[in-house]
Amino acid sequence: MDNNQKQAASGKAAADSRKRKEAPSSAVTGFKNLHQQGRESRPPARPQKRVKFQDARNIRSQPPDAALDGEGKLDLQKFLNAREFEIKALETSMQKCKTANATRVFQQVPREMRRRTASHNAKRVPKRLRDRAKREMLEDNTPTVEARKRRPRTTRARIRAENAKRLEKLAAKKKKRALEGENKDKPGKTTIHTRAPRPKIRRDTLNEPPKSKSKFNKRQVNKTWLPTHLWHAKRATMTEPTKPLWRFAIPMTPTQKSYRPTHRASGQKGTIFWDTSYMSTARIYGTARCIELVLKALGLTQASIWGNRGRKWRAGTRTWSGMVSRQQGNSRRDVGPATILWNPSPTDETAATESNTTEEKKTQRQVLIRTHPSCFLELFDELVKLAKLQTPQVHVEDLRFEVGSIELTGPGSTETLLAVLQPYHTEERHGQVFSSLIGVTNPASLPKDAVLGFSVKDPRLSYPPKRVDTTSKVSDPALLDTLTQWPVEEQVKPYGLFDRHVRFKASNLPPQKSINRRKGANIPGQEIQVTAADPPIPVIVFASRPAAGGQAQGTWTLMAPWKCILPIWYSIVHYPLSTGGNPRLGGLNEQRQIAFEQGTAWFPGDFLGTNAGVVWEMEQRTQRKKAWDRRPKGKRIEWASLDLGAGRKGEIGDGLACDFEHLFGLPKVPSPSSSSGDRSTLDVDPNAMDVDPREEAEAASKLGKPHKNTLPSLATVEQMKKTEFNALVSSADLASRPPPRSIISVNIRFVTRGVANACARIYRLPSRPSATTTVPSSEAEVPATDPVAAGVGSLPADLRDQWLQKLPSQRNGSKSFKTKTHAAPHMPRDVDHGTRKQLMAKSLLSGDPLPYPRPSAANQTDIGGGAHPLCPGEEDLIGFVTAGAYSLGEGKGTAVGAISAEKAFDTLKESGGIKEGRLCIVRNAGESVGWLARWELV
Amino acid sequence: MVRLKDRYLLVNIVYTDLPPGQKGSVPDLLLYNQPTIGELRPQTILKGIRSQVNALFGDCGSGSVERSLQVKYLSTATSTFILRISRAHYRLVWAALTFMDRLPVKDGRPCIFRVVRVSGTIRKVEEEAIRRAKLLVLAAKDEMAGKASSSDALNALFRGGKDSARNLALVNDDHDDAEINEGEISDG
Repeated sequence: MDNNQKQAASGKAAADSRKRKEAPSSAVTGFKNLHQQGRESRPPARPQKRVKFQDARNIRSQPPDAALDGEGKLDLQKFLNAREFEIKALETSMQKCKTANATRVFQQVPREMRRRTASHNAKRVPKRLRDRAKREMLEDNTPTVEARKRRPRTTRARIRAENAKRLEKLAAKKKKRALEGENKDKPGKTTIHTRAPRPKIRRDTLNEPPKSKSKFNKRQVNKTWLPTHLWHAKRATMTEPTKPLWRFAIPMTPTQKSYRPTHRASGQKGTIFWDTSYMSTARIYGTARCIELVLKALGLTQASIWGNRGRKWRAGTRTWSGMVSRQQGNSRRDVGPATILWNPSPTDETAATESNTTEEKKTQRQVLIRTHPSCFLELFDELVKLAKLQTPQVHVEDLRFEVGSIELTGPGSTETLLAVLQPYHTEERHGQVFSSLIGVTNPASLPKDAVLGFSVKDPRLSYPPKRVDTTSKVSDPALLDTLTQWPVEEQVKPYGLFDRHVRFKASNLPPQKSINRRKGANIPGQEIQVTAADPPIPVIVFASRPAAGGQAQGTWTLMAPWKCILPIWYSIVHYPLSTGGNPRLGGLNEQRQIAFEQGTAWFPGDFLGTNAGVVWEMEQRTQRKKAWDRRPKGKRIEWASLDLGAGRKGEIGDGLACDFEHLFGLPKVPSPSSSSGDRSTLDVDPNAMDVDPREEAEAASKLGKPHKNTLPSLATVEQMKKTEFNALVSSADLASRPPPRSIISVNIRFVTRGVANACARIYRLPSRPSATTTVPSSEAEVPATDPVAAGVGSLPADLRDQWLQKLPSQRNGSKSFKTKTHAAPHMPRDVDHGTRKQLMAKSLLSGDPLPYPRPSAANQTDIGGGAHPLCPGEEDLIGFVTAGAYSLGEGKGTAVGAISAEKAFDTLKESGGIKEGRLCIVRNAGESVGWLARWELV
Repeated sequence: MVRLKDRYLLVNIVYTDLPPGQKGSVPDLLLYNQPTIGELRPQTILKGIRSQVNALFGDCGSGSVERSLQVKYLSTATSTFILRISRAHYRLVWAALTFMDRLPVKDGRPCIFRVVRVSGTIRKVEEEAIRRAKLLVLAAKDEMAGKASSSDALNALFRGGKDSARNLALVNDDHDDAEINEGEISDG
C-alpha cells in the first residue's frame, strides 16, 4: 500500500510527532493496551474507506469462456451456469452496497433515542446494531475511551482512583474471609430477619425526607430526589445541582426538543405526563366539626360546599380545588392553590341519610390537602396554628415523602392509566368504575372533580403494558351512563392511601429480581399471577378540569405511595398508545406551557399576589439580571436610552422585572435586579416612603418563615379574585372600590399582531383629555409621527382615537387617518429619467421636506404600513405580563399577566363599556412599540 | 446543493447468427443469448456509443453524452451490461444503441443492443437483470428436459416483462419525459 511506503519514508519523524492516526513505530510501544496498539497499526481510515466503497460497488463478472464448453461451442449447461453466476454476483453486489453505506449505525436510531457518546461507545446503540457499530468503529479508527481505564488527570481523580484500588483490595480480602467462614460453620448457620423499619410520621411537625441510598447521599444534601430522579436525570434538564427548586431536583424540560410535540400531545394526539411527587401532601384528622372549622379558616367559606351541594365532597367522592388563604391582620392573603379531599368514613351510608346531625359532626374524619411545595411551609404553619386552636384538637401530618403523584394530560391519558392500573380486588366499586372508562379521550368529560380510590396490582407483574382496545368501546352507551350517573357513592370505603399501614405494606414491593425470576418461570408472554407476596398498592386518581373550561383537555392526577411511583412510572413510559408512540415526558416548563396555552395562570409564576409568587418573581429577576449582565454592552438593552417618543426617555420602572413596586409606589429593596442604567426608577417618589408599610407584612417577617426571612415590599400586593372583582364592577355602589394595592390575573390576546414577553408593560387606552386641558387645536392636528411636534413632551390629544383606529373592525376609518400622515414620498416605478429629475426637483422645492435625521424612535412610519400610535404615558400603565409567547393553540400572540385591580376598575367604569374598557396596549420591556390587545379575567 | 441525476440502462446484446466455430444447429435459446467475445471491454463499448452518438447527433450530442457515460457492469459471458448516463441525455444513448448493428470491435459480429430497463437507481436495474436471468434459467431447464419450442425461447427473450402490452403503452407515451414512468420501462 502506498500508505505504508509513505510512512516508511517519513520514518521516525512521524513517530515523534505522535499523531493519533499515524501508526506507532516499534520504538514507541510503551502502550500496554494491546487492543489500542492493534488499532493504531492499521492504515489511515480515509483511503481505506474509499477502497471499501469501490470494492462494494464493483460487480463481479465472468469471461465469455465460462459460457462455452471446452471447444468454444455453445453449451446448455454452461449457459445455465453463467446465468446462475450472474444472479449471484448481482445479489451480492446489492447486499454489499447496502451494508457499505456512508452512515454510521448511531445515525440510524430513532429521534427519541438517547445517543450520548454513542459514536464512541458501541454499547450505547441498540443490541441489534452493536456488532455493526463495533466494526464501524474499528474501520473508522474511532478513539474509544473506557472511563474505567482512563488515566486520572486531576489530583482529585487520582486520589479517588487510589482509594478505589485500595477499597477493591479490601473488598476482595473481606470476601475471601467470608467464604472461609462460610465453609467452616455451614450447618449451624442462622439468619435473623428483621422487619423493615416503618417511616416515622410525627404529628404537627414536618416530615424528614426519606433516607437515600448512601451512594447518593452526598448529592442530596440540600435537596431531595424525586422517586424517578435517575430516570429523569438522563432524559431531562434538571434544576442546577446547587440551586434546587423548592428543595427538590425537578426536571425542567426534556433534553429533546419538545415545544410543538408538547402542544400536540396535550391537545390533539398522545399524552404527556409528569412526576409531580414534589407536590406536597398533608393529612388532617380529628372530628368532622373541627376539621370543618380549620378548612373554613383556610378560606373555604362558600356556603355551597358546606351545604347540600358539597355533600359529595364531604363524603369523599369529589375533590375541592381552589386557592386557600390565611388571615393577615384585617385582610386575607392567598397562600396558594390546593386540592382538598375527604376520606370517606366507614359508616358513610348511615351518615348520608341523616346529614348535618350532631352524630356526623362528632365522627372522626380525615382530610388530605395537596398543595404546591412553594407554598407548603406557609400552609403547614398555618394549619398547625389553626389545628391547635380547636377543641378537641385536630392534628396535622406531613405526608410529603409518603405520598407521591403522577400527572397525565392529553387524549391518551385515560387509556394509559387504564393499561397501567389494574384493580387488585375485582369487587371494589371504584376499581370497577375506573376499568369501565375505556374510550374516554378527555379527563374533563368526567364529572367535575371526580375521585376514584382503589388498590391496584403491582404494574411490574403485567409489564410491558398491553395496549388497551379502545376501538370497540367508543360511543358505548354504557360508558355514557357511567359518566352521567357516576355510581361511586354506594358502598364507598375509606381510601387506603390515608392509612399509613396500607401505605407501608405497599412500599415493600417484592424486588425486581424476584419478579424477574417469576417471569422466567412463566411461559413467555404470560402474566405473572398475584400472590400473597404482592401487596395491593392504594391509589387515588382524580380528574381535574382546566380553569379555562371549554374544550381543553383535563388532567389526571394519580396519587400513590412514594415508593410505588417508580414501578408505575416505568409502565407508563412504555405504554404503546393506540394512536402510536409512547407517552411524552414533560418538565416544569411544559407544565407552564400547557397552562399558558389554555390561557390559565400557572402557580407560582403567575400569582404575584402570593408569597410563593413573590419569591418566584424575585428569583426570575436575579436570573434576568444575570443574563443581562453577561451580554456585552453593545448588545444589551440600555434601559435609560430607550426612546418612547414624545420626549419620553428611559424604560418605565425596572426593565427586567414585573415592576409592581413602581406601579404602586412601594419602597424598592436594593435587589440585584435594579439595573444601574435605570436611575429614574430608583429614586422613588418620596411620598411612597410615607405610605406606612402594612403591619401584616411586618408580622409576616417577624414570624420568620423558614424559606424566606424578609419578604420584599412586593409581598404587600394582594391578589383579587375574579368573582370579587366582577361583583364590584357590576355593583351600583359607587363607594365600593377594590383595595388600593390589589392585582387581578388576566389573560391577554393581541387584537392583530404582536407577541409579548415576560415583563411586558400593559397600558390601558389613554383617556380623552377633558375640556379644560385640551391642547390647542393647532397642535392637535399635528400627526403623531412628527417628531418635531412629539419632541415637545406631550402626547397627541387624540391618542385614544388613534389606538381605536387600529381595531380591525374600523379599518375604513383608519384609511382616512393614514392619508394625513407624512409617509416618505416614494418614487413611482417605471418613470423615465426626465420625470425622475422633475419629481426630485419638486420634492426638494416643496415646503414640506422630509425630516432629518429620520425619526428613529417609537412610531416609525413603516410599522404596520402606516403611522403607529405612540405608547400611552406612564399614568396609563396598569400592569405587567408574567408569561407571554406566540400561542400555538390560538395562532397569535397571547399572554398571561397581572393588572392593578383599581386601575382596571376605573377603566371599566369610566369608559362605560366592557368593550373599550378591556382594550389594552402591551409593550415589551425595552421596546418602544406597543400593540393593541384585549384582556380577560382568569 | 444540486443532486446529480442519472439514469441506468440495462442492455442485452442479442445475436441472430451462429458463432464462427459452431457447427450444426443449436437451440434458439442459446442462439439468441450467446456470450460475447472477450475483446469487448468497457472502453470499447463507450467508444462505439460515442462514435454512434456523434454520427447521429453531431458534436453537440456527443459532447453532452461524453462526460457522464459510464459502464457500471459488463458481463461478456451473459452479454449483458449496465450503463450510467445523466438523466437529460439518456435518450441519445438509447437511440445510438438502437442504431448500432454490430459489436464495436474489429470485425464485430452483427448483433442487436436491446435496452431492457431504464431506471433511476442501479438497484432496480440489478433486480431486473436478476429477474431476466432467472427466466432464462427456467427456459434453459425446460430446454434440457426437451419440452421446449422456438417460441419459448423468444418468449424468454422478449416477454421478459410481465405484461408487455402495458409496457409498450408506457414506452409510447414516454416522450413527455415523465420521470415516474421511466422506472417501469422494460422490453423497450
